[in-house]
Amino acid sequence: MEKQFMEVKLLAKVVEQLKLINSKLDFLTQQNAELLKIYNARDVMPLSPKADVMTLLKLPLSLRKTVIALYKVERATAADIAKATGRSRPVESDCANQLVRMGLANKTREGMTIYFSIEPGLEVEK
Amino acid sequence: MKTLSIHSGRGGTGKTLIATNLACILANRGFNVTLLDADFRGPCLAFVFSRIVDYRVKYWLNDFLNGRCNQNEVLVDISDCYNFKGKLQVGFANPSIAAIQNVMNKSQAWELTAVKKLFSLLSYLNKDEIGDYCIFDTSPGVQYSSINALVASDLCIMVMSSDVIDLEATKNILKDIADNFQKKTVIILNKYCPENRLEENKKNTVAQIEAVLKHPVISKIPCYCDVLQGNRTELLAVKKPDHPFIKQLEEVANKIDSA
Repeated sequence: MEKQFMEVKLLAKVVEQLKLINSKLDFLTQQNAELLKIYNARDVMPLSPKADVMTLLKLPLSLRKTVIALYKVERATAADIAKATGRSRPVESDCANQLVRMGLANKTREGMTIYFSIEPGLEVEK
Repeated sequence: MKTLSIHSGRGGTGKTLIATNLACILANRGFNVTLLDADFRGPCLAFVFSRIVDYRVKYWLNDFLNGRCNQNEVLVDISDCYNFKGKLQVGFANPSIAAIQNVMNKSQAWELTAVKKLFSLLSYLNKDEIGDYCIFDTSPGVQYSSINALVASDLCIMVMSSDVIDLEATKNILKDIADNFQKKTVIILNKYCPENRLEENKKNTVAQIEAVLKHPVISKIPCYCDVLQGNRTELLAVKKPDHPFIKQLEEVANKIDSA
């Protein structure tokens, strides 16, 4: 009888722990959903990219060329970037989109045209 | 327009001396030259042209990068002071301690704005055919301002002495920075001394350096005591155009012009 009582008590403890784990999982799922929402909205959200020259050194050469082409203009289409780098438009479109996914470039749409830019956020001078 | 950045792995290699005199040589050949002080942590051009700075500089390059003035307001035309055939305009970095401290505290975002501003300045010089040459006198080693200038330039001129420490520093800069940006790079061996440790095996120093750095040495300028001891506010290319140091730089200018 005592053994059975102990088993029930243990089971109740396991259930309690499982409930705790479940609540933590709920919290993580909710947090993940919020992060995903921010991530998916990045293409249209104004960002403060940090594609400075030191960050550039950590990037592969293909992306570095795209960033340098974007340094020279306010904003550019993939075709504009291709003209500056001498590479093809699909290559530049791929590189620019990769920079957007990395949070290093902005992407805006005007009608059918997509523009890429590297504009740092406004900063109050120290 | 050709954009040159004059850089080095360590300080005291003669970057400013070469940059200022090369700018004068090119301006005297009739080219329109823009000389920019990209050494915001140790500005030198304001000292070299101190007589002019006092009454002609309204805005510093720092002001331009901070968005306080336009491209045409930051460049100071000094051609009339030297009667050059071409135009020589200079963008001065602010040498005050407050300005240097200000640059040191800048953020990543500001540095991104700075590199874009540099590109806009070059575009302005290119657009109206204001410039034939733009020369950046940079800060030694790995500094934001120097790398910004290097990224914006077509040709990187690394100035080094034949000292082994200089060689290592130059090698690291080339490996980690210039080669990563696929910049066309040439070396100027300044203050060259034949009794150097690199010549222990009696091999050709230039060949050894070229083998290590994998970039051509375009000039080997000997160490001239009178140049080192001379008054830095007097431009050698103006005061002593026949000096062998200037003759060496004339050859550098020829090579750059034909490149």
